[in-house]
Amino acid sequence: MKQLIYGFILSLSMLGAAQAATEGIPWDKAPVNTSELGSLQNGAKLFVNYCLNCHSAAYMRYNRLQDIGLTNEQIKANLLFTTDKVGDTMKAAIDPKEAKGWFGANPPDLSVIARSRAGHGGTGADYLYTFLRSFHPDDTKATGWNNLAFPNVGMPHALWELQGKRQPVYETRQEHGHEVKLFKGWEQVSPGSMTSSQYDQAVGDLVNYLQWMGEPAQNTRFRIGVWVMVFLLIFAGIAWRLNASFWKDVK
Amino acid sequence: MSDTLSEKNEIDSSKRTWLIATGCAGTVGGVAVAIPFVSNFQPSEKAKAAGAAVEVDIAGLKPGEKLTVEWRGKPVWIIRRTSDQLDSLKKTEALLADPDSKRNPSDLTPEYARNQHRSIKPEVLVAVGICSHLGCSPIDKFQSGAQPSLPDDWLGGFLCPCHGSTFDMAGRVFRNKPAPDNLEVPPHMYLSDSKLLIGEDKKA
Amino acid sequence: MAEFKELPADAPAGAKLMNWFENRFPTMFDAYRVHMAEYYAPKNFNFWYIFGSLAMLVLVIQIVTGIFLVMHYKPDAALAFASVEYIMRDVPWGWLIRYMHSTGASAFFVVVYLHMFRGLIYGSYRKPRELVWIFGCAIFLVLMAEAFMGYLLPWGQMSYWGAQVIVNLFSAIPFIGPDLALLIRGDYVVGDATLNRFFSFHVIAVPLVLLGLVTAHLLALHDVGSNNPDGVEIKSGPKGNRWSASAPADGVPFHPYYTVHDIFAVSVFLLVFSAIVFFAPEFGGYFLEYNNFIPADPLKTPSHIAPVWYFTPFYSMLRAITSEMMYVLIGCTVLGALLGVTKCKSSLFRAAVLAATALAVALMLSIDAKFWGVLVMGGAVVILFFLPWLDNSPVRSIRYRPSWHKYVYGLFVINFVVLAYLGVQPPSPVGERVSQVGTLFYFGFFLLMPWWSRMGQPLAVPSRVNFAAH
Repeated sequence: MKQLIYGFILSLSMLGAAQAATEGIPWDKAPVNTSELGSLQNGAKLFVNYCLNCHSAAYMRYNRLQDIGLTNEQIKANLLFTTDKVGDTMKAAIDPKEAKGWFGANPPDLSVIARSRAGHGGTGADYLYTFLRSFHPDDTKATGWNNLAFPNVGMPHALWELQGKRQPVYETRQEHGHEVKLFKGWEQVSPGSMTSSQYDQAVGDLVNYLQWMGEPAQNTRFRIGVWVMVFLLIFAGIAWRLNASFWKDVK
Repeated sequence: MSDTLSEKNEIDSSKRTWLIATGCAGTVGGVAVAIPFVSNFQPSEKAKAAGAAVEVDIAGLKPGEKLTVEWRGKPVWIIRRTSDQLDSLKKTEALLADPDSKRNPSDLTPEYARNQHRSIKPEVLVAVGICSHLGCSPIDKFQSGAQPSLPDDWLGGFLCPCHGSTFDMAGRVFRNKPAPDNLEVPPHMYLSDSKLLIGEDKKA
Repeated sequence: MAEFKELPADAPAGAKLMNWFENRFPTMFDAYRVHMAEYYAPKNFNFWYIFGSLAMLVLVIQIVTGIFLVMHYKPDAALAFASVEYIMRDVPWGWLIRYMHSTGASAFFVVVYLHMFRGLIYGSYRKPRELVWIFGCAIFLVLMAEAFMGYLLPWGQMSYWGAQVIVNLFSAIPFIGPDLALLIRGDYVVGDATLNRFFSFHVIAVPLVLLGLVTAHLLALHDVGSNNPDGVEIKSGPKGNRWSASAPADGVPFHPYYTVHDIFAVSVFLLVFSAIVFFAPEFGGYFLEYNNFIPADPLKTPSHIAPVWYFTPFYSMLRAITSEMMYVLIGCTVLGALLGVTKCKSSLFRAAVLAATALAVALMLSIDAKFWGVLVMGGAVVILFFLPWLDNSPVRSIRYRPSWHKYVYGLFVINFVVLAYLGVQPPSPVGERVSQVGTLFYFGFFLLMPWWSRMGQPLAVPSRVNFAAH
């Protein structure tokens, strides 16, 4: 049974060709849907519990979480640290100087992380979804962790209790006359409190929340945009006929 | 140049139709575009958060003591009045410009403060410490008796240093002073016997 | 007072009000007549003629959205990035105004490049419109400065490092370079001082210059009259049309014919503009670059740095000038000198050409390719100013040029787009070669134009414009 599960995990995480160690692995597609309020709320909870200890989201106001269907009371009861007020912005508890000492760099602010990490590999959300699922133990690192999507990252695996510990499995092949290490999949070394698919779901929610937090106005923007296009199409039609009515006279 | 009359009318009416249509659509569009720009002037979330209600714990406030908190950038006084100070409120009535707080009640005196003590609990006064004349913050003059700039029958209250307006222990302004109005009582409510929330009341 | 026009006592109130103004401010009414109601524009304008009006619309959009952004933006290195996010999140409708401004910046260049291309293909820069073209080139240059300075303001990684690189370009100038760069920056590296002065320039100084140049551009145009796709001067043709006996027969009053036409064109433009603003404001990272969502870090350059897309053709040319390329350029200079010497009889001129060439070659061998890269990049814009004197074709519009000229212009466009694409990509050996060829083609197109524009058999130019009734 275990073999089946490991095999299943391996085949699920089958990723493509050889990659250079510096670049990181190709990114998986993140299951983002910023209109799914349940997912966003779960993601907000995970964010506040696991990320805000070290990372700020200094441009995100707690009371803005009302946009994803929470009331101020719910926010105050479940998502606020005792010293914060609901109108405050999400500042990390950590001291930036100490953080730099511990991790080598101040943990970056996450307010617009999903917008800043986009690239050829996919959207910022794709990167984050891959990143949060690609940690593995590494004794040579100060934190004891490394990451396949961001080699030599200074961040430890904040969610390791949920995912457990996994090691990447490589296959060495001869290509063009030299040896190449191909990433084949993951091996679960010790379990976490969630199964692989539960963890993927949780990370999906967290990344969904990060995507939303990067631009809280995005859903409004899309909705209003539709109306604007409808109006402009009608207006363009009217303007076209107006133009024709004048240019009829010109011979 | 030899258009027939009917041709001319046709062209004109089609132009007119489309001009009106464009005008209407353009107006609608114009208003729609103006809305975001005009709303842009409104207070931002940051301003609204900064202007949010303030919680104050008055458990430790002893009779005769005054506590000052900031709300929307203004000083708000919370005074636990002694029985003598409360008694003085009847005696000052005759000297006041607006003893029943009838002027500008919607701006200055919420419903629950339209009484002699201008407060929810008789002994606790909550008032904005800004003189209704030109905006200075009056000084405490709780001691009764003759003092410089105060009349001989002074029973306790506030004196504004800028132009000499005086207020009684309920923040009501005396007659013949530059200040026209009583001190503003801000919207407030009691979350518990000792917890005051300034900036919001049950209506909000 | 003696010249005041009086209306009869029973005239409508509206007419009397107009009359009151017209008596005291006739300039305004004359201006309306000269520039709108009695400005006779050729009736055969096509799609290419819309971009001038659109450019003016985008200018207005940028100014209005800019005014509202400045209400909330903080021009301080420590506060700028946060203030932009404040606009995006906390300010009512701030996100919309921000996206309109960022999309408008890119839209401005799309529209202006298409507008310039129209000038190129229809010969709008030729006599008597050389000055209109020169004002236009000045607008283009000023617009590039405006965009560059505006891009520093969000204080993201691309903002910071883009500014650092471009200001360092100035330091490549021999002798005065480093001091000049210091003067521009106001500090030893791009910092708060730079941000504050770029803010001042971007918000008020350069827009005023831009408005002045646009006014000059339009007034100079209206003085000589507009060109048209056939390149036929309507003022030289027969006179008398439906609206005026003295106006060109092939002209129509700008108002209402082109105002109404522009309203339609504006609505189509706004459809595209709004689609981008509401559905894809980042536009794949080209209009709002991903790296710019990281606050500026003076200690770490992003791995992949490129200017914004509208600068990339010129950036490609800058990158193409390597020390190897210098030899090619020396070769071209010598070739040019030989051409000059053989074509010209005057021995004084020949001597001057040889001396100048010797000096140029000496300089090209001694000064770094870095400087020449800057010069080439600048030269690519400056050469546009000279276009009226480079074009030797007997025929103004591409419609009547020898048909192979169309392919030359087509190639020019493809070349420009390829250079733009290469500018966005990280440098590569193949990319370098292609952009070197592309740079040579770009300059060859202009520098050799006195000869190639004369070649071939042009078609017969009609005496009246081609117009099909709508």
